[in-house]
Amino acid sequence: MIKFKIDGKEFEAEPGQTILSVADANGIYIPTLCYNEKISRTTSCFVCLVKDLKTGRFMPSCSACPNEGGEYDSSSDEVADMRRTALELLLSEHTGDCEAPCTIACPAHANVEEYVRAGREGDFLESLKIIKQRIPLPMSIGRVCPRFCEKDCRKNVTAKPVAINDFKRLAADMFYDSYLEDLPPLNGKKVAVIGAGPAGLAAAYFLRLNGVATKIFEKQAKPGGMLRYGIPEYRLPKSILDQEIAHFIKMGVEIECGKELGKDFKLADLSKQYDAVIAAIGCWKPSSMRTEGEEFAAQGIKWLEINNCGGNNPGRTIVVGGGNTAMDCVRTSIRLGASEVTCCYRRTEKEMPAEEIEIQEAKEEGVKFEFLTAPISICKENGELVMTCQRMELGEPDASGRRKPVPIPGSEYQMTADTIIAAIGQATDATEEFGVDKYGNIKVDLSNFMMIGNIFAAGDCVSGAATVVEAVAAGRKAALGILRMLKLTNETPERTINVSRGHWSSLSKKDLVFLRDNISDEERVALDLIPLEKRLSSFEEVSRTLKPEDMMAEGKRCIECSCTAKEDCKLKKHSESCGARVDAISGKKPEASYDNRHPVIIHDKMKCIKCGICVKICKEVVNENLLSAKKRGFNTEISAAYGLPLPVSCKDCGQCIIECPVGALDWKIKK
Amino acid sequence: MTVNENIKKIRVGTASCGLAAGGAAVLEALHLHAPNIDIDEVGCLGHCYAEPMVEVVTNDGKSYLYAGVDDQESAISSILSLSDKFRFKIPPVRESKELLKVLKLAGKICPTSYDEYVANGGYAALKKALANTPEWVINEIKESGLRGRGGGGFPTGVKWSFLATKEAEQKILICNADEGDPGAFMDRSLMESVPHQMLEGMLIGAYATGATRLIIYCRAEYPLAIKHLKIAIEQIYQNGLNKIEGRELDIMIKEGAGAFVCGEETSMIASLEGKRGTPRFRPPFPTDRGLNNFPTSINNVETFGNIPLIIKDGAESYAAIGTAGSKGTKLFALAGDLKYPGLIEVPMGTTLSEIVFGIGGADPEKVKAVQTGGPSGGCIPKSLFDTPVDYDSLKSLGAIMGSGGMIVISNERCMVETARFFLDFTHRESCGKCTFCRVGTTRMYETLERIVAGNGKREDLDFLENIGPKIIKGSLCGLGQTAPNPVLATLRYFRNEYEDHVLRGQCSALQCNNLVDVVLFKDNCIKCRLCIKNCPVNAISDDFVVDNNLCTRCNTCIEICPKKTIARTKRGEVVNDKI
Repeated sequence: MIKFKIDGKEFEAEPGQTILSVADANGIYIPTLCYNEKISRTTSCFVCLVKDLKTGRFMPSCSACPNEGGEYDSSSDEVADMRRTALELLLSEHTGDCEAPCTIACPAHANVEEYVRAGREGDFLESLKIIKQRIPLPMSIGRVCPRFCEKDCRKNVTAKPVAINDFKRLAADMFYDSYLEDLPPLNGKKVAVIGAGPAGLAAAYFLRLNGVATKIFEKQAKPGGMLRYGIPEYRLPKSILDQEIAHFIKMGVEIECGKELGKDFKLADLSKQYDAVIAAIGCWKPSSMRTEGEEFAAQGIKWLEINNCGGNNPGRTIVVGGGNTAMDCVRTSIRLGASEVTCCYRRTEKEMPAEEIEIQEAKEEGVKFEFLTAPISICKENGELVMTCQRMELGEPDASGRRKPVPIPGSEYQMTADTIIAAIGQATDATEEFGVDKYGNIKVDLSNFMMIGNIFAAGDCVSGAATVVEAVAAGRKAALGILRMLKLTNETPERTINVSRGHWSSLSKKDLVFLRDNISDEERVALDLIPLEKRLSSFEEVSRTLKPEDMMAEGKRCIECSCTAKEDCKLKKHSESCGARVDAISGKKPEASYDNRHPVIIHDKMKCIKCGICVKICKEVVNENLLSAKKRGFNTEISAAYGLPLPVSCKDCGQCIIECPVGALDWKIKK
Repeated sequence: MTVNENIKKIRVGTASCGLAAGGAAVLEALHLHAPNIDIDEVGCLGHCYAEPMVEVVTNDGKSYLYAGVDDQESAISSILSLSDKFRFKIPPVRESKELLKVLKLAGKICPTSYDEYVANGGYAALKKALANTPEWVINEIKESGLRGRGGGGFPTGVKWSFLATKEAEQKILICNADEGDPGAFMDRSLMESVPHQMLEGMLIGAYATGATRLIIYCRAEYPLAIKHLKIAIEQIYQNGLNKIEGRELDIMIKEGAGAFVCGEETSMIASLEGKRGTPRFRPPFPTDRGLNNFPTSINNVETFGNIPLIIKDGAESYAAIGTAGSKGTKLFALAGDLKYPGLIEVPMGTTLSEIVFGIGGADPEKVKAVQTGGPSGGCIPKSLFDTPVDYDSLKSLGAIMGSGGMIVISNERCMVETARFFLDFTHRESCGKCTFCRVGTTRMYETLERIVAGNGKREDLDFLENIGPKIIKGSLCGLGQTAPNPVLATLRYFRNEYEDHVLRGQCSALQCNNLVDVVLFKDNCIKCRLCIKNCPVNAISDDFVVDNNLCTRCNTCIEICPKKTIARTKRGEVVNDKI
C-alpha cells in the first residue's frame, strides 16, 4: 500500500490506484467530467486537478497515482481557481440552452416548455400542475400576463411565438376547481400577510404548501388588489377572480377584508403576534402630472377602482399617459359610452410602455392617439375642461434607454374634454414604519425579501408598479425567505448557471436545434375575440378561452429549446458547485452543428466538451468503435466515420448517451 | 569554357536549401561545362544567405567557396576558372565563434556515400562502443553531460539507463525527427547532410540499451532527408552493421503526417500505434510503457548526432566544451531580421550577442529582441543579450532552449503582433484533447487578435497574464505547457508595447495597420503625384492629403515616393496637412 496525504489527511492507495479514486472512496469531492470508471483514462477535462505539494505541479487526479509519502492539495484557493478556470474555459466553448428561454424570461420561472408539452399531449391537468408549481394565479395570469415568455420564444426566429399564455388560461379554466394540491398538515407556524393582491396571495399559497398558516389583512372590501380594482372587467371578469380566490380559502388561507394597516392594526403588533409578516401593500398612490389645474383631472388608478365594471358616461375623454393603466382607462371609457376618447402621450407609439396588444385593441375600439404631446395646464371654462398642451420632439436617450421628450417652444395648443384622466403611473404609499428607497418603495434584502427582523415585503411595493407575474414571483421568494428563517427548509437559493445560445434576435434558423420531426410550421393560433360591437358596449370579457384541440395543435409549434440533459449535466453541476461563471471567459464558439438524422438520438456537437468518453465507451465497452475524434485543436469534433449518422441499431444500446457528461449525445425524447 | 587544370573536385550544395536556391541547375551546368571534373553533391554548409554554394578543391589541397551562383555563363566560368567573381569568404566573426563538431562533415562529404563517411572517421565510434560494454557506453554518455537536444533537456545517459535496465521481450529506440517548429531546420540539415552520423548514434544507443527496433519518426515534409536516410539504412544493412552481438536490428522510417504535437513523445507513440496523435498523461513514461507497451526511449536527431562524437573522443573531452549545466555544442537555425541567416553550431554558453550580432551580423541599432525555442519559446530583449545560451539561463528568462530555432526581431516589428503570430501557430496545432490547451490558447489568440486590431482593452492584458500561467500549469503536454511563453515573455519585457495598443490606440513599431496613420509630410514633397497615381484606393487627394479612412496601409505610396516623404506614424499623432 502507498501512504500519502490529501489536504493533510493520511490515505492509502493500492499500486495503480489514482488519487481521484482514493478521494472518491473516502468521500472527498473532486469534480471531474471526463473520468469514467468503465473505460481507460481520457485525461481531457482537467477539472479534477490537484497540486503536488512536493513538486508544486498540478496534475489530473483521474490519471495521477500518488507517490509514497506524497502530499496533495485538493482544497486550496489556488486549486479551486484552477478547477474553476477549467470549467469556465469549457463553458466558453460549450453552446446550448440549459433552460429554455421562455422559462428564463418568465419572472416566476415557470417550467414553460414542460407545461406546453403536457398540453400538446392533451394532458392539461398535468399542465396545470406544472404551472402551479410557480404560478398560483393561473386563471388571472392566463388572461392578463404581458407574456415575457413569448417575447423571448425562439419561434420568433421563423414565425410568431408559441401562444404560451393560452395554455395557462385553458389548463386553469379546465381544471382549476378540481385540482387540489397535496397539502401537508399545518405545523403551528403562522404568518400575517398585509394585502390580498397577487404578491400576498402567492406568498400565502407557497407558505401553505409548506405547512405554514397565513392570515391576510386586506383594506378593501374584497380580496384581489389590483386584479380586482385595477384591471377592468373586460380583461379579467370578477367572477373568474372570485373563483380563483375561493381556491385559496379552500386551502385554508384566511382573508380578512376591510382591515387597513395603520388604522386597524400596527406593523409592530403583527410582528409580535405572528411568526413573520409579509407586507404586500402594492402601489396605490397616483403619480402627479405636476401641471397647473391637475385637480380637474381624475387619477387613473382611482378612477378605474370605481369604473372598471361600469359607471357613468364620461363624455369626451382625454387620458394622459402611455402605460397599461392608460389603456385600461381609454378602453373602459369607450365601454362607458364616451363619445370621443383620446390618449395623449409625450413620446411616440414605439416608446409606449403599454402592451402592443392593448394598444392594438384600443385602436380597434376607436381610441384616438395624440403622440408627442404633454399637458401644461388644465382649466375649466364654460363647463368644459380645457387642457393646454405642448408639442414634443425626441431628444437623447434617458436612463430608461428611451429617447427623452423635449418641448418645442411656441407649440402650445388646446384640447377640450368633459373628463380628463391622468394615468401616468403610481407609487408605493408606504407608512413610516417601513424603510424606503429614493422612489418610495420598501427596501428589502433581495436574496430573501426580508426588510427587518421577521418582517418581509414583496410585490409592487418593493419593485414599483409592475406586472402580476412579477408580484407572484416575488411573493414566492418572500415565502421561501420566511421558510428559511423559520428553518422549515434547508433549501438555500442555489446558484444556478444558464448557458444560452443567445436571444432569438441574434439567431437564424440554422441555429435552432430541432429534436422532433413534427414541429409544426402552422401559423400561431388566433385569438378568439368577441364581436367588436359587444366590446364597445359591454364589459364582457374581450377574448374567449381557446379550445383544447387548438392548443394541442399549437403545442406542436414548440421547438423545445431546453437541454435534454438539464437534469443531469455534469458541467452545470460542477460549475455551480465550483462557482464557475458562464460569461467569465468569452470568445468564438467552435464551428460545429448538430446531427438529428438518427431516429431517436441527437448528437449536438455544439455541447460537446471533447472529453472522449463516448469514443472509448463505444470502443472499449460496446466493442463497436463507431465514434472518433476528427479535426484538431479548437475545432476538434467527435463524429461517426465518413460523417454518416450513427446506425439505427444504436437505439438499443445508448451506452454513450448514458455516459455523456453534457448531453451532447442524447435521446431526442425528453422526460 | 576553360576549366582550370588545378581543380581536383567540385562540391555543390544540394541539400533542400541549396536546391531551393537553384543548386540543381548549377550542378547541371557544371556537369555540362566540366564533364571530366569530379563533381560531388554535398549537404549544407549552413550559410543559407549565400546559397547556392559551390566549393572547389584544388590539387594542392586548397578550397575555394563560391556563393550566390547560378547556371549562367558568368558564374559557371568564374567557378571553373577559379576567378574572384562570386568568390565567398566566411565572415571572420562566424569563423571565430563557430565550433563545428556535429556539423563537421556537413557539406564536406556526399551524404549518400557510406565510404566517404567511413573515410572521415564514420562508424569508428560504433566500433569502439562494441569493443566496450553497454554499461561503459551509457556511463560515457552520462559523464559527457549530454542533454536532450529536442528541447526537454533531459540527460540522455539517464534516459538510456532506464531503458537498459528494463527486462522486456522487445525494447525500442525512436529517433524524433518530427522537427516542427517554424523556422527550425537543424535536424533536417543534419539528416540531409550526414545521415549516417545520426544512424551511428542510434546503433550505439541500440547496443547500450538492448533495443532491437529502431524507428525514425520523420515528418513527411522532409523528402530529401527521408531519401538520404533510406539509402543510408540500406547501406547499414549491406555492411551488416545492423547485427549487434547476435541481435538483428530492425530499422524503419515512419513518415509523420504533419501534426506538430506528434513531436511530443507520447503523441508520437500514439501516432506510431496507428492512433490519433494525442498525448497521454505521464507516468508511466515511455521507458516503462512505450510503443505497443514495450519500453521505449525517444531521442532527438541532434542528440543522436552527438553520440558518435562522445564515444569517439571520450566523455571528458566532450564535457570540456560548454557550461556547468549544458555540455557540448548546440545547433541553431538563425533566422529573422539579420544579415547572415543560416544554420550554426556554437559551444553552449556562447552569448546571445555573439550569436545575433557576431555570427548573424544583425545591426545592434535595429535589433529589439530574439525569440528562442520557436513558437513555444520566449522573446529575450536586447538588454539581456549578454546571457550565455544554455538550458538553465534561457529558462530563467522565461524563454527556452527548445530545439534551436532562433529568430531575430527588429525594431520595426510589433511585439504584440509577434506574440500573436506564434500563438496563431500553437493554438492551431493544439491536438484538442485537454481543456486548457484547446480552449485556453484559442482564447489567448483571440485576445491578441483583438489587441493588434486596435480593439483591445486594459482588461485583456489582465486576462492574458491570468490565463497564461494557468495554461502552463494545467495542460497535459509540452505544447500547452509552453504555448503561452511568447505572450508572457513579451508582456514581461515589452509591456509598454501592449499598453500602447490598449491604452493609447497606438503601435509604436508602426506595424499594426489599424493603429497607424499614413502621413505625407509636405516639406520635401515635389508634387510629382506618383503617390496619387499609384494609390490603389484613391486615398490621396489632389492636395496631397492621405485619407486614413480609405487608406489600406498597403505601403505603395511610401515605397514609390522619390523623396521618402510619406511615412507611417502613430495613429492620431500627426495631422495630414494640405499643401
